Amino acid sequence: MAVAMSGRGVAFIRNIAGSLHMRLQVLGGASQQLSCLHTSISLDDKHWEKNNRKVYPPQLPEEPRRPAEVYHSRRQIKYSKDKMWYLAKMIKGMSIDEAIAQLEFNDKKGAKVMREVLLEAQEMAVKNHNVEYKSNLYVAESFSGKGQYLKRIRYHGRGMFGIMDKVYCHYFVKLVEGVPPKPEERTGFDQAKEYVQGLKNRTIIHSL
Amino acid sequence: MWCFKPERIYPEAAFHLPYNWGKMATSLTRTFGSLRIVARRGLKNAELALNIQHPGPLFLPVRTKKRHFIPPAVGMKGKKEENPEAKARAAGIVFRQQYLERPINIACSAGVFDPYIPPEGDARLSTLSKEGLRQRTEQIRQSAASQLAIRKVKEYDSQFSTKTFAEQAQEIFIEAHNALTQFNKEKLHSLVTERCYPEMTRGNRYKTIRWRFVESLEPPRVVHARCPDMVTKGNLYGQVTVRMHSKQTLAIYDRFGRLMLGSEEQPKDVLEYLVIERHLVNPYSRWRLHGKIVPSWAPPKDPVIKVTVYFGPLIIFLFRLLDG
Repeated sequence: MAVAMSGRGVAFIRNIAGSLHMRLQVLGGASQQLSCLHTSISLDDKHWEKNNRKVYPPQLPEEPRRPAEVYHSRRQIKYSKDKMWYLAKMIKGMSIDEAIAQLEFNDKKGAKVMREVLLEAQEMAVKNHNVEYKSNLYVAESFSGKGQYLKRIRYHGRGMFGIMDKVYCHYFVKLVEGVPPKPEERTGFDQAKEYVQGLKNRTIIHSL
Repeated sequence: MWCFKPERIYPEAAFHLPYNWGKMATSLTRTFGSLRIVARRGLKNAELALNIQHPGPLFLPVRTKKRHFIPPAVGMKGKKEENPEAKARAAGIVFRQQYLERPINIACSAGVFDPYIPPEGDARLSTLSKEGLRQRTEQIRQSAASQLAIRKVKEYDSQFSTKTFAEQAQEIFIEAHNALTQFNKEKLHSLVTERCYPEMTRGNRYKTIRWRFVESLEPPRVVHARCPDMVTKGNLYGQVTVRMHSKQTLAIYDRFGRLMLGSEEQPKDVLEYLVIERHLVNPYSRWRLHGKIVPSWAPPKDPVIKVTVYFGPLIIFLFRLLDG
């Protein structure tokens, strides 16, 4: 019976999951009937770009204006994902102008690629996604992922060899319209207060 | 430098085989080079006595260092794929010539032939002024060719009449726009020609369109007709221009549900010249919307793009507050 979920069956279910995620007309709460059906996304498709195809229903006039979100990525960049992570973490939460300026004067190789990606995303936002002001964007999410590596041989002495990985990485970025949110500042005093509160909340159960 | 030599490849080996291992003629000879042709060793006594002669194995594998991993790129160095076509020709195989023919059905013409020139200030001037009279004379001049064309259309479609056709055209128009709001591709294709379809739907895939036909201010009437033929002489297409004055509401929402253009409550008076086309020679063809004529004196205004000089995030904040 366990053999029933063989490779083809899993791929079939994955394909259904992929097509289910396609054009979601209603977000969030309307999928209560389907909440029992938990589907996974197939590994081959480029899921990040598909987020750009999501269409929301028209807003009522009294609702607050929904900020525009633009998803963009670049695949198979010849750089290490760990080194890319440092840059991605640096620009997370910055406004787009600030991010582009910082990357322009950064010496790393990944900074140049990342800057191109941000500029592309900004242009896409203005042209295709009805963003009014190109500077009114900030970097909501930015991270790097592992790409597909090539393997080569690294020759050692005494007939030994090692397998060398030619590393590639993907870079993903999500731009949101609006002013970048201010990160919450927690002083040491706040943390100390919370610690003391935690101690005070302790109680002894099943006591007399 | 000591490089590892590929050993004889066992089919039952645990590591991954390159998938073309059977075809690598060159490497096989290299592999067999590491093997020894085994000489006939001294026979054992029993075999001597019974005079049994076993033909010994011709090739015995030699144990080399176990290779745990052979990267796929190693075999690719010397592999330049020769032209399979040249090989086939040399071998004498002759292929019949392949005709890549795919029939293309053209169901609509490329554009509007001899477009109707709407008189200046059509819905704005009264008939009694000098301008109005000039318009009427121009109309009479154009109508001669239209009468010819209408007669030709009646040859193929006996029930065609200008009076009923105008109503029909308006219905087609309303249905087509309703299908556009629902984005019902099949229905839209049956109501709108292939030339008009991309014009209507470009850039609209991820937008929500809400359109409503409120009422018609004037009864629609046929103003112009032409019967051009495409490619061959008998291939007739009938194009009829209908003038419509009506009230409509249009609201386009972008991907995030924010109002981009228009408004849902405020209806606008619209004067339109629709071109309806039909492939007359085809008995199963239908009258479909082919395009609209935009008069030169009323070009479509570009939607207002609010552009401001950016001094900082504060200024944009202020504008947002003002917009509400």
